[in-house]
Amino acid sequence: MDTDTILQNAETLLNPWVTEAKRPEVNRLDIYISASNLLAAVQSLVDAHWGHLSAITGLDRPALAPMQPAAKPGEPAAAISATDSPTPEGKIEVLYHFCQGPAILTLRVGLPYSQTANARMVIPSICAAAPAASLYERELMEMFGIDVEGTPVTQKLVLPDDWPEGVYPLRKSFTGFPDKSEA
Amino acid sequence: MNPQHPPEKFILPIGPQHPALKEPGHFEFTIDGEIVKDATVRLGYVHRGIEKGTEARNYNQDLYLLERICGICSHVHATAFALGVEKLAGVTVPPRAQAIRTLVAELERVHSHLLWLGVCAHEGGFDTLFMYSWRDRETVMDILEGLTGNRVNYSANIMGGVKVDVDDKTADTIRHGIDYLEGRTHHYMKVVTTDETFLGRTRDIGTMTYEQAIRLDAVGPTARASGVRADVRVDAPYAGYPDFPVDLITETAGDLAARFVVRINELFVSYQLIRTILDKLPPGEISVRIPRRIPEGETISRVEAPRGELFYFIRSNGTDKPDRVKVRTPSLCNWASVMELAVGHKLADMPMILAGIDPCFSCNDRLIRVNRRGDSQLWSWEDLRRYGIEQYK
Repeated sequence: MDTDTILQNAETLLNPWVTEAKRPEVNRLDIYISASNLLAAVQSLVDAHWGHLSAITGLDRPALAPMQPAAKPGEPAAAISATDSPTPEGKIEVLYHFCQGPAILTLRVGLPYSQTANARMVIPSICAAAPAASLYERELMEMFGIDVEGTPVTQKLVLPDDWPEGVYPLRKSFTGFPDKSEA
Repeated sequence: MNPQHPPEKFILPIGPQHPALKEPGHFEFTIDGEIVKDATVRLGYVHRGIEKGTEARNYNQDLYLLERICGICSHVHATAFALGVEKLAGVTVPPRAQAIRTLVAELERVHSHLLWLGVCAHEGGFDTLFMYSWRDRETVMDILEGLTGNRVNYSANIMGGVKVDVDDKTADTIRHGIDYLEGRTHHYMKVVTTDETFLGRTRDIGTMTYEQAIRLDAVGPTARASGVRADVRVDAPYAGYPDFPVDLITETAGDLAARFVVRINELFVSYQLIRTILDKLPPGEISVRIPRRIPEGETISRVEAPRGELFYFIRSNGTDKPDRVKVRTPSLCNWASVMELAVGHKLADMPMILAGIDPCFSCNDRLIRVNRRGDSQLWSWEDLRRYGIEQYK
Protein backbone atom coordinates (compact mmCIF):
# COMPACT_ATOMS: atom_id res chain seq x y z
CA MET A 1 0.00 0.00 0.00
CA ASP A 2 1.43 3.34 -0.92
CA THR A 3 1.38 6.40 1.25
CA ASP A 4 -1.51 8.01 -0.64
CA THR A 5 -3.80 5.02 -0.16
CA ILE A 6 -2.94 4.80 3.53
CA LEU A 7 -3.78 8.47 4.03
CA GLN A 8 -6.99 8.19 2.00
CA ASN A 9 -8.08 5.30 4.21
CA ALA A 10 -7.57 7.52 7.23
CA GLU A 11 -9.56 10.33 5.66
CA THR A 12 -12.42 7.95 4.90
CA LEU A 13 -12.37 6.65 8.46
CA LEU A 14 -12.47 10.10 9.95
CA ASN A 15 -14.97 11.50 7.46
CA PRO A 16 -17.86 11.99 9.95
CA TRP A 17 -15.82 14.37 12.12
CA VAL A 18 -13.64 16.30 9.72
CA THR A 19 -14.02 20.08 9.69
CA GLU A 20 -11.03 20.63 7.43
CA ALA A 21 -8.38 18.43 5.86
CA LYS A 22 -4.98 19.44 4.54
CA ARG A 23 -2.00 17.72 2.95
CA PRO A 24 0.96 19.82 4.10
CA GLU A 25 3.54 17.32 2.82
CA VAL A 26 3.35 14.25 0.59
CA ASN A 27 3.45 11.86 3.54
CA ARG A 28 1.25 13.90 5.87
CA LEU A 29 -2.46 14.48 6.38
CA ASP A 30 -3.73 17.11 8.84
CA ILE A 31 -7.33 16.74 10.00
CA TYR A 32 -8.97 19.52 11.98
CA ILE A 33 -11.64 18.27 14.39
CA SER A 34 -13.48 19.64 17.39
CA ALA A 35 -12.62 18.56 20.93
CA SER A 36 -15.99 16.85 21.41
CA ASN A 37 -15.32 14.48 18.50
CA LEU A 38 -11.76 13.68 19.48
CA LEU A 39 -12.31 10.45 21.39
CA ALA A 40 -14.66 9.02 18.77
CA ALA A 41 -12.19 9.79 16.02
CA VAL A 42 -9.29 8.20 17.88
CA GLN A 43 -11.43 5.16 18.70
CA SER A 44 -12.25 4.66 15.03
CA LEU A 45 -8.53 4.75 14.15
CA VAL A 46 -7.71 2.25 16.87
CA ASP A 47 -10.59 -0.04 15.86
CA ALA A 48 -9.39 -0.02 12.27
CA HIS A 49 -5.78 -0.64 13.40
CA TRP A 50 -4.70 2.49 11.55
CA GLY A 51 -1.17 3.15 12.73
CA HIS A 52 -0.03 3.92 16.26
CA LEU A 53 -0.16 7.03 18.41
CA SER A 54 3.30 8.47 18.01
CA ALA A 55 3.14 11.70 20.01
CA ILE A 56 0.94 14.50 21.31
CA THR A 57 2.22 18.00 20.61
CA GLY A 58 0.97 21.18 22.26
CA LEU A 59 1.30 24.31 20.19
CA ASP A 60 0.73 27.74 21.72
CA ARG A 61 -0.33 30.31 19.16
CA PRO A 62 -1.11 33.55 20.95
CA ALA A 63 -3.01 36.27 19.14
CA LEU A 64 -0.81 38.86 17.53
CA ALA A 65 -0.93 42.19 19.27
CA PRO A 66 -3.01 44.59 17.12
CA MET A 67 -0.02 46.73 16.17
CA GLN A 68 2.23 43.75 15.56
CA PRO A 69 2.92 43.72 11.82
CA ALA A 70 5.34 46.61 12.12
CA ALA A 71 8.28 44.66 10.73
CA LYS A 72 11.62 46.16 11.53
CA PRO A 73 13.34 47.64 8.53
CA GLY A 74 15.35 45.06 6.63
CA GLU A 75 13.40 42.13 8.03
CA PRO A 76 10.67 40.18 6.29
CA ALA A 77 7.22 40.97 7.62
CA ALA A 78 6.13 38.75 10.48
CA ALA A 79 4.86 35.64 8.81
CA ILE A 80 3.17 33.90 11.71
CA SER A 81 -0.40 34.79 10.81
CA ALA A 82 -1.11 33.62 7.30
CA THR A 83 -1.16 29.82 6.73
CA ASP A 84 -3.97 28.49 8.86
CA SER A 85 -7.32 30.11 9.28
CA PRO A 86 -6.28 33.36 10.89
CA THR A 87 -7.81 33.63 14.30
CA PRO A 88 -7.94 37.02 15.91
CA GLU A 89 -8.09 35.22 19.23
CA GLY A 90 -5.08 33.23 20.37
CA LYS A 91 -5.38 29.49 20.80
CA ILE A 92 -3.55 26.43 21.90
CA GLU A 93 -3.56 23.65 19.39
CA VAL A 94 -3.23 20.05 20.47
CA LEU A 95 -1.83 17.76 17.80
CA TYR A 96 -2.26 14.01 17.94
CA HIS A 97 0.21 12.34 15.62
CA PHE A 98 -0.48 8.84 14.32
CA CYS A 99 2.00 7.00 12.14
CA GLN A 100 1.40 4.11 9.77
CA GLY A 101 4.42 3.08 7.76
CA PRO A 102 5.67 6.22 6.02
CA ALA A 103 2.36 8.06 6.48
CA ILE A 104 1.71 10.52 9.30
CA LEU A 105 -1.78 11.59 10.30
CA THR A 106 -2.23 14.57 12.61
CA LEU A 107 -5.51 15.29 14.37
CA ARG A 108 -5.58 18.99 15.22
CA VAL A 109 -7.81 20.32 17.98
CA GLY A 110 -7.87 24.08 18.55
CA LEU A 111 -8.60 25.41 22.05
CA PRO A 112 -9.22 29.17 21.98
CA TYR A 113 -7.95 31.18 24.96
CA SER A 114 -10.91 31.49 27.30
CA GLN A 115 -12.58 34.83 27.74
CA THR A 116 -11.99 34.96 31.46
CA ALA A 117 -8.63 34.46 33.05
CA ASN A 118 -9.84 31.76 35.41
CA ALA A 119 -11.64 29.53 32.97
CA ARG A 120 -9.71 26.41 32.06
CA MET A 121 -9.03 24.85 28.73
CA VAL A 122 -10.49 21.40 28.63
CA ILE A 123 -9.89 18.54 26.25
CA PRO A 124 -11.13 14.96 26.64
CA SER A 125 -8.67 12.20 27.38
CA ILE A 126 -8.07 9.61 24.67
CA CYS A 127 -6.69 7.02 27.10
CA ALA A 128 -9.90 4.96 26.81
CA ALA A 129 -8.94 4.28 23.19
CA ALA A 130 -5.15 4.58 23.37
CA PRO A 131 -3.80 3.77 26.86
CA ALA A 132 -0.29 4.83 25.89
CA ALA A 133 -1.51 8.43 25.75
CA SER A 134 -1.40 8.69 29.56
CA LEU A 135 2.20 9.91 29.78
CA TYR A 136 1.74 12.32 26.87
CA GLU A 137 -1.41 13.76 28.43
CA ARG A 138 0.37 14.27 31.76
CA GLU A 139 3.08 16.18 29.92
CA LEU A 140 0.47 18.27 28.11
CA MET A 141 -1.27 19.18 31.39
CA GLU A 142 1.98 20.31 33.04
CA MET A 143 3.48 22.14 30.13
CA PHE A 144 0.42 23.90 28.71
CA GLY A 145 -2.11 24.01 31.56
CA ILE A 146 -4.79 22.11 29.70
CA ASP A 147 -7.24 20.02 31.73
CA VAL A 148 -7.36 16.59 30.20
CA GLU A 149 -10.75 15.33 31.28
CA GLY A 150 -10.82 11.68 32.32
CA THR A 151 -7.10 10.96 32.10
CA PRO A 152 -6.23 8.20 34.60
CA VAL A 153 -3.19 9.78 36.31
CA THR A 154 -2.94 13.50 37.01
CA GLN A 155 0.25 13.57 39.08
CA LYS A 156 3.22 15.57 37.90
CA LEU A 157 5.40 13.76 35.45
CA VAL A 158 8.41 15.92 34.72
CA LEU A 159 8.25 19.28 36.53
CA PRO A 160 9.72 19.60 40.09
CA ASP A 161 7.45 19.05 43.11
CA ASP A 162 7.73 22.71 44.18
CA TRP A 163 6.94 24.12 40.75
CA PRO A 164 4.42 26.97 41.26
CA GLU A 165 0.76 26.33 40.45
CA GLY A 166 -0.54 27.90 37.31
CA VAL A 167 2.82 28.36 35.60
CA TYR A 168 2.98 26.53 32.32
CA PRO A 169 6.47 26.62 30.84
CA LEU A 170 5.72 25.85 27.22
CA ARG A 171 3.19 28.64 26.83
CA LYS A 172 4.62 31.58 24.94
CA SER A 173 3.62 33.87 27.82
CA PHE A 174 6.17 32.09 30.07
CA THR A 175 9.53 33.76 29.66
CA GLY A 176 11.26 32.58 32.82
CA PHE A 177 11.03 33.60 36.45
CA PRO A 178 12.00 37.11 37.59
CA ASP A 179 15.54 37.11 38.90
CA LYS A 180 15.06 37.33 42.69
CA SER A 181 18.77 37.32 43.49
CA GLU A 182 19.15 40.76 41.90
CA ALA A 183 16.04 42.22 43.47
CA MET B 1 -4.16 -8.41 65.16
CA ASN B 2 -7.59 -7.39 64.04
CA PRO B 3 -8.95 -9.75 61.39
CA GLN B 4 -11.49 -7.09 60.29
CA HIS B 5 -8.68 -4.79 59.34
CA PRO B 6 -8.65 -4.31 55.57
CA PRO B 7 -5.55 -5.64 53.90
CA GLU B 8 -3.02 -2.86 53.62
CA LYS B 9 -0.98 -2.18 50.59
CA PHE B 10 2.74 -2.28 51.01
CA ILE B 11 4.32 0.29 48.77
CA LEU B 12 8.00 0.12 48.14
CA PRO B 13 9.48 3.35 46.83
CA ILE B 14 12.56 2.98 44.72
CA GLY B 15 14.63 5.95 43.65
CA PRO B 16 15.10 8.62 42.49
CA GLN B 17 18.67 7.50 43.06
CA HIS B 18 17.99 4.25 41.41
CA PRO B 19 19.85 1.16 42.58
CA ALA B 20 19.67 -0.52 39.20
CA LEU B 21 20.24 2.28 36.76
CA LYS B 22 22.77 5.01 36.54
CA GLU B 23 20.17 7.68 36.01
CA PRO B 24 17.43 9.03 38.29
CA GLY B 25 13.83 7.84 38.14
CA HIS B 26 11.31 7.20 40.89
CA PHE B 27 9.18 4.08 41.01
CA GLU B 28 6.58 2.94 43.46
CA PHE B 29 5.94 -0.75 43.52
CA THR B 30 2.92 -2.05 45.37
CA ILE B 31 3.97 -5.47 46.54
CA ASP B 32 2.37 -8.52 48.09
CA GLY B 33 5.20 -10.52 49.57
CA GLU B 34 7.68 -10.83 46.74
CA ILE B 35 5.17 -10.23 43.96
CA VAL B 36 4.64 -6.83 42.37
CA LYS B 37 0.95 -5.88 42.17
CA ASP B 38 1.16 -2.37 40.77
CA ALA B 39 3.77 0.07 39.58
CA THR B 40 3.94 3.81 38.92
CA VAL B 41 6.68 6.04 37.60
CA ARG B 42 7.72 9.64 38.26
CA LEU B 43 10.23 11.13 35.87
CA GLY B 44 11.68 14.57 35.50
CA TYR B 45 14.76 14.42 37.69
CA VAL B 46 16.88 15.31 34.71
CA HIS B 47 14.34 17.59 33.03
CA ARG B 48 16.22 20.52 31.56
CA GLY B 49 13.60 22.44 29.62
CA ILE B 50 15.26 21.87 26.28
CA GLU B 51 12.07 22.20 24.20
CA LYS B 52 11.53 25.69 25.62
CA GLY B 53 15.22 26.43 25.20
CA THR B 54 15.07 25.82 21.47
CA GLU B 55 12.62 28.69 21.02
CA ALA B 56 15.20 31.21 22.28
CA ARG B 57 18.09 30.00 20.11
CA ASN B 58 18.75 29.95 16.42
CA TYR B 59 18.72 26.78 14.35
CA ASN B 60 22.48 26.25 14.51
CA GLN B 61 22.56 26.67 18.30
CA ASP B 62 19.58 24.35 18.58
CA LEU B 63 21.44 21.63 16.73
CA TYR B 64 24.09 21.64 19.50
CA LEU B 65 21.46 21.87 22.23
CA LEU B 66 19.33 19.04 20.88
CA GLU B 67 22.34 16.80 20.40
CA ARG B 68 22.80 17.09 24.17
CA ILE B 69 19.37 15.65 24.97
CA CYS B 70 21.01 12.27 25.22
CA GLY B 71 24.57 11.23 25.90
CA ILE B 72 24.10 7.84 24.28
CA CYS B 73 22.13 8.47 21.13
CA SER B 74 23.13 12.08 20.54
CA HIS B 75 23.61 11.69 16.80
CA VAL B 76 20.04 10.62 16.05
CA HIS B 77 18.68 13.75 17.74
CA ALA B 78 20.86 16.01 15.64
CA THR B 79 19.99 14.00 12.52
CA ALA B 80 16.25 14.18 13.12
CA PHE B 81 16.40 17.94 13.69
CA ALA B 82 18.70 18.63 10.75
CA LEU B 83 16.58 16.53 8.37
CA GLY B 84 13.44 18.40 9.44
CA VAL B 85 14.95 21.86 9.11
CA GLU B 86 16.50 20.99 5.74
CA LYS B 87 13.05 19.89 4.56
CA LEU B 88 11.55 23.22 5.71
CA ALA B 89 14.35 25.14 3.98
CA GLY B 90 13.92 23.12 0.79
CA VAL B 91 17.58 22.17 0.72
CA THR B 92 18.85 18.91 -0.78
CA VAL B 93 21.76 17.44 1.12
CA PRO B 94 24.48 15.69 -0.95
CA PRO B 95 24.29 11.86 -0.97
CA ARG B 96 27.76 11.54 0.54
CA ALA B 97 26.66 13.56 3.58
CA GLN B 98 23.53 11.41 3.98
CA ALA B 99 25.64 8.24 3.77
CA ILE B 100 28.06 9.52 6.42
CA ARG B 101 25.10 10.43 8.66
CA THR B 102 23.88 6.88 8.28
CA LEU B 103 27.35 5.48 8.95
CA VAL B 104 27.66 7.43 12.22
CA ALA B 105 24.10 6.46 13.17
CA GLU B 106 24.91 2.76 12.77
CA LEU B 107 28.19 3.10 14.70
CA GLU B 108 26.16 4.80 17.40
CA ARG B 109 23.67 1.93 17.40
CA VAL B 110 26.55 -0.53 17.87
CA HIS B 111 27.87 1.46 20.84
CA SER B 112 24.39 1.82 22.33
CA HIS B 113 23.45 -1.86 22.00
CA LEU B 114 26.79 -2.99 23.47
CA LEU B 115 26.30 -0.57 26.34
CA TRP B 116 22.85 -2.00 26.93
CA LEU B 117 24.13 -5.57 26.78
CA GLY B 118 26.62 -4.74 29.54
CA VAL B 119 24.11 -2.92 31.75
CA CYS B 120 21.49 -5.63 31.41
CA ALA B 121 24.04 -8.38 32.13
CA HIS B 122 25.11 -6.43 35.23
CA GLU B 123 21.47 -6.21 36.42
CA GLY B 124 21.22 -9.94 35.95
CA GLY B 125 24.25 -10.51 38.14
CA PHE B 126 26.43 -11.57 35.23
CA ASP B 127 29.27 -9.12 35.71
CA THR B 128 31.73 -11.03 33.56
CA LEU B 129 29.58 -10.40 30.50
CA PHE B 130 29.24 -6.77 31.58
CA MET B 131 33.01 -6.31 31.78
CA TYR B 132 33.73 -8.02 28.46
CA SER B 133 31.01 -6.27 26.48
CA TRP B 134 32.11 -2.88 27.77
CA ARG B 135 35.73 -3.67 27.01
CA ASP B 136 34.75 -4.48 23.44
CA ARG B 137 32.55 -1.42 23.24
CA GLU B 138 35.73 0.65 23.55
CA THR B 139 36.53 -0.48 20.01
CA VAL B 140 33.56 1.35 18.56
CA MET B 141 34.13 4.31 20.90
CA ASP B 142 37.63 4.63 19.50
CA ILE B 143 36.25 4.46 15.97
CA LEU B 144 33.78 7.24 16.73
CA GLU B 145 36.50 9.33 18.35
CA GLY B 146 38.81 8.80 15.40
CA LEU B 147 36.08 9.73 12.97
CA THR B 148 34.55 12.76 14.68
CA GLY B 149 36.93 13.76 17.47
CA ASN B 150 34.50 12.84 20.24
CA ARG B 151 33.47 9.67 22.06
CA VAL B 152 29.96 11.05 22.68
CA ASN B 153 28.12 14.11 21.33
CA TYR B 154 30.03 13.64 18.10
CA SER B 155 28.63 16.74 16.38
CA ALA B 156 29.00 15.02 13.03
CA ASN B 157 25.97 16.92 11.69
CA ILE B 158 25.75 20.49 10.59
CA MET B 159 22.78 22.15 8.96
CA GLY B 160 22.99 21.05 5.35
CA GLY B 161 25.31 18.08 5.74
CA VAL B 162 28.09 16.73 7.90
CA LYS B 163 31.42 18.14 9.00
CA VAL B 164 33.50 14.97 8.92
CA ASP B 165 34.61 13.08 5.84
CA VAL B 166 35.77 9.47 5.63
CA ASP B 167 39.12 8.83 3.94
CA ASP B 168 40.60 5.43 3.02
CA LYS B 169 42.66 5.21 6.17
CA THR B 170 39.68 5.87 8.44
CA ALA B 171 37.60 3.40 6.45
CA ASP B 172 40.21 0.68 6.98
CA THR B 173 40.35 1.37 10.72
CA ILE B 174 36.55 1.11 10.90
CA ARG B 175 36.51 -2.18 8.90
CA HIS B 176 39.17 -3.64 11.15
CA GLY B 177 37.26 -2.69 14.30
CA ILE B 178 33.97 -4.02 12.92
CA ASP B 179 35.58 -7.39 12.04
CA TYR B 180 36.78 -7.76 15.62
CA LEU B 181 33.39 -6.77 17.05
CA GLU B 182 31.53 -9.19 14.78
CA GLY B 183 33.57 -12.10 16.13
CA ARG B 184 32.93 -11.02 19.69
CA THR B 185 29.21 -10.55 19.03
CA HIS B 186 28.90 -14.15 17.81
CA HIS B 187 30.35 -15.15 21.17
CA TYR B 188 27.82 -12.97 23.06
CA MET B 189 24.95 -14.45 21.10
CA LYS B 190 26.11 -17.91 22.16
CA VAL B 191 26.38 -16.82 25.80
CA VAL B 192 22.94 -15.21 26.12
CA THR B 193 21.18 -18.07 24.32
CA THR B 194 22.94 -21.03 25.99
CA ASP B 195 24.06 -20.01 29.48
CA GLU B 196 21.46 -21.72 31.68
CA THR B 197 22.00 -19.46 34.69
CA PHE B 198 21.52 -16.36 32.60
CA LEU B 199 18.52 -17.79 30.75
CA GLY B 200 16.98 -18.43 34.16
CA ARG B 201 16.91 -14.66 34.59
CA THR B 202 15.63 -13.82 31.11
CA ARG B 203 13.45 -16.59 29.71
CA ASP B 204 9.72 -15.94 30.26
CA ILE B 205 10.50 -12.83 32.31
CA GLY B 206 8.74 -9.57 31.45
CA THR B 207 6.91 -11.16 28.54
CA MET B 208 4.98 -8.74 26.35
CA THR B 209 2.61 -10.25 23.81
CA TYR B 210 2.16 -8.83 20.33
CA GLU B 211 -1.29 -7.50 21.32
CA GLN B 212 0.14 -5.75 24.38
CA ALA B 213 2.92 -4.23 22.35
CA ILE B 214 0.39 -2.81 19.88
CA ARG B 215 -2.01 -1.57 22.54
CA LEU B 216 0.75 0.08 24.61
CA ASP B 217 2.43 1.55 21.54
CA ALA B 218 5.81 0.04 22.33
CA VAL B 219 8.60 0.96 19.91
CA GLY B 220 12.02 -0.16 18.84
CA PRO B 221 13.75 -3.43 19.79
CA THR B 222 11.31 -3.79 22.74
CA ALA B 223 8.39 -3.98 20.30
CA ARG B 224 10.26 -6.01 17.68
CA ALA B 225 11.06 -8.69 20.30
CA SER B 226 7.27 -9.15 20.51
CA GLY B 227 6.89 -9.56 16.77
CA VAL B 228 5.91 -5.99 15.84
CA ARG B 229 7.25 -5.26 12.38
CA ALA B 230 8.13 -1.61 12.85
CA ASP B 231 11.40 0.14 12.16
CA VAL B 232 11.51 3.69 10.79
CA ARG B 233 14.62 2.79 8.78
CA VAL B 234 12.48 0.27 6.86
CA ASP B 235 9.02 1.89 6.98
CA ALA B 236 10.03 5.42 6.05
CA PRO B 237 13.70 5.44 5.04
CA TYR B 238 15.50 8.73 5.71
CA ALA B 239 19.03 10.11 5.26
CA GLY B 240 21.09 7.36 3.57
CA TYR B 241 18.69 4.46 4.23
CA PRO B 242 16.91 4.66 0.85
CA ASP B 243 20.26 3.78 -0.76
CA PHE B 244 21.46 1.47 1.98
CA PRO B 245 18.43 -0.62 3.07
CA VAL B 246 18.44 -2.58 6.33
CA ASP B 247 16.88 -5.90 7.29
CA LEU B 248 14.05 -5.85 9.78
CA ILE B 249 14.85 -8.02 12.81
CA THR B 250 12.02 -9.47 14.85
CA GLU B 251 11.47 -12.21 17.42
CA THR B 252 8.22 -13.67 18.66
CA ALA B 253 8.76 -14.72 22.28
CA GLY B 254 8.49 -11.18 23.67
CA ASP B 255 10.42 -11.98 26.86
CA LEU B 256 13.75 -10.57 28.04
CA ALA B 257 15.65 -13.31 26.24
CA ALA B 258 14.03 -12.25 22.95
CA ARG B 259 15.07 -8.64 23.54
CA PHE B 260 18.66 -9.84 23.89
CA VAL B 261 18.42 -11.79 20.65
CA VAL B 262 16.82 -8.90 18.73
CA ARG B 263 19.46 -6.40 19.82
CA ILE B 264 22.36 -8.75 19.11
CA ASN B 265 20.95 -9.58 15.67
CA GLU B 266 20.61 -5.86 15.03
CA LEU B 267 24.31 -5.56 15.77
CA PHE B 268 25.04 -7.95 12.89
CA VAL B 269 22.80 -5.92 10.59
CA SER B 270 24.63 -2.75 11.61
CA TYR B 271 28.05 -4.32 10.99
CA GLN B 272 26.99 -5.36 7.51
CA LEU B 273 25.51 -1.95 6.76
CA ILE B 274 28.66 -0.17 7.95
CA ARG B 275 30.77 -2.28 5.56
CA THR B 276 28.41 -1.62 2.65
CA ILE B 277 28.44 2.12 3.25
CA LEU B 278 32.24 2.18 3.42
CA ASP B 279 32.49 0.19 0.16
CA LYS B 280 29.95 2.27 -1.76
CA LEU B 281 30.37 5.71 -0.28
CA PRO B 282 29.09 8.14 -2.93
CA PRO B 283 31.64 10.73 -4.03
CA GLY B 284 31.04 14.45 -3.84
CA GLU B 285 30.48 17.28 -1.44
CA ILE B 286 29.64 16.71 2.22
CA SER B 287 27.52 19.82 2.85
CA VAL B 288 25.51 22.58 1.23
CA ARG B 289 24.75 26.07 2.42
CA ILE B 290 21.46 26.57 4.22
CA PRO B 291 19.77 29.93 4.88
CA ARG B 292 19.80 31.33 8.41
CA ARG B 293 16.12 32.19 8.22
CA ILE B 294 13.90 29.21 7.65
CA PRO B 295 10.64 29.80 5.72
CA GLU B 296 7.43 29.41 7.65
CA GLY B 297 6.12 25.88 7.86
CA GLU B 298 5.60 22.74 9.88
CA THR B 299 7.27 19.41 9.45
CA ILE B 300 7.62 16.08 11.16
CA SER B 301 10.87 14.19 11.17
CA ARG B 302 11.12 10.59 12.35
CA VAL B 303 14.26 8.51 12.76
CA GLU B 304 15.02 5.12 14.28
CA ALA B 305 17.09 5.70 17.41
CA PRO B 306 18.77 2.67 19.04
CA ARG B 307 15.77 2.51 21.39
CA GLY B 308 13.06 2.98 18.76
CA GLU B 309 11.15 5.65 16.92
CA LEU B 310 12.33 9.19 17.68
CA PHE B 311 9.77 11.83 16.74
CA TYR B 312 10.42 15.52 16.01
CA PHE B 313 7.77 18.12 15.23
CA ILE B 314 9.24 21.41 14.06
CA ARG B 315 7.34 24.62 13.36
CA SER B 316 9.20 27.51 11.82
CA ASN B 317 7.97 31.09 11.58
CA GLY B 318 10.22 32.69 9.00
CA THR B 319 12.86 33.84 11.47
CA ASP B 320 16.19 32.25 12.43
CA LYS B 321 14.61 30.65 15.52
CA PRO B 322 12.03 27.84 15.55
CA ASP B 323 8.54 28.59 16.84
CA ARG B 324 8.21 25.16 18.43
CA VAL B 325 10.24 21.98 18.61
CA LYS B 326 8.52 18.94 20.06
CA VAL B 327 10.65 15.92 20.88
CA ARG B 328 9.15 12.55 21.71
CA THR B 329 11.82 10.05 22.61
CA PRO B 330 11.43 6.27 22.40
CA SER B 331 12.00 5.68 26.14
CA LEU B 332 8.83 7.62 26.96
CA CYS B 333 6.79 5.26 24.77
CA ASN B 334 8.17 2.18 26.43
CA TRP B 335 7.55 3.22 30.06
CA ALA B 336 3.89 2.32 29.74
CA SER B 337 4.87 -1.23 28.79
CA VAL B 338 7.27 -1.60 31.77
CA MET B 339 4.66 -0.44 34.26
CA GLU B 340 2.25 -3.05 32.96
CA LEU B 341 4.78 -5.87 32.53
CA ALA B 342 6.10 -5.45 36.08
CA VAL B 343 2.82 -6.68 37.55
CA GLY B 344 2.96 -10.32 38.61
CA HIS B 345 6.73 -10.58 38.63
CA LYS B 346 9.06 -10.93 41.59
CA LEU B 347 10.60 -7.77 42.97
CA ALA B 348 14.02 -9.24 42.24
CA ASP B 349 13.22 -9.24 38.52
CA MET B 350 12.47 -5.50 38.47
CA PRO B 351 15.99 -4.28 37.72
CA MET B 352 16.17 -6.43 34.62
CA ILE B 353 12.67 -5.61 33.44
CA LEU B 354 13.43 -1.92 33.86
CA ALA B 355 16.73 -2.23 32.07
CA GLY B 356 15.15 -4.45 29.41
CA ILE B 357 13.66 -1.54 27.49
CA ASP B 358 17.02 0.22 27.61
CA PRO B 359 15.53 3.29 29.28
CA CYS B 360 17.24 6.59 28.84
CA PHE B 361 16.23 9.17 31.41
CA SER B 362 18.05 12.11 29.93
CA CYS B 363 16.11 11.47 26.80
CA ASN B 364 12.69 11.51 28.32
CA ASP B 365 13.40 14.14 30.98
CA ARG B 366 15.40 16.60 29.07
CA LEU B 367 16.60 19.82 35.28
CA ILE B 368 20.16 19.61 35.61
CA ARG B 369 21.57 17.64 38.51
CA VAL B 370 24.12 19.57 40.46
CA ASN B 371 26.62 17.78 42.68
CA ARG B 372 28.38 20.26 44.87
CA ARG B 373 30.95 18.76 47.18
CA GLY B 374 29.81 17.97 50.73
CA ASP B 375 26.35 19.28 50.05
CA SER B 376 23.52 16.85 50.33
CA GLN B 377 20.37 18.83 51.09
CA LEU B 378 17.35 18.78 48.87
CA TRP B 379 17.53 21.49 46.26
CA SER B 380 14.46 23.48 45.46
CA TRP B 381 13.79 24.89 42.03
CA GLU B 382 14.76 28.36 43.35
CA ASP B 383 18.10 27.06 44.67
CA LEU B 384 18.86 25.43 41.37
CA ARG B 385 18.01 28.57 39.49
CA ARG B 386 20.19 30.74 41.72
CA TYR B 387 23.03 28.25 41.45
CA GLY B 388 22.76 28.28 37.70
CA ILE B 389 22.80 32.06 37.50
CA GLU B 390 25.84 32.32 39.81
CA GLN B 391 27.65 29.56 37.99
CA TYR B 392 27.40 31.09 34.57
CA LYS B 393 27.73 34.79 35.41
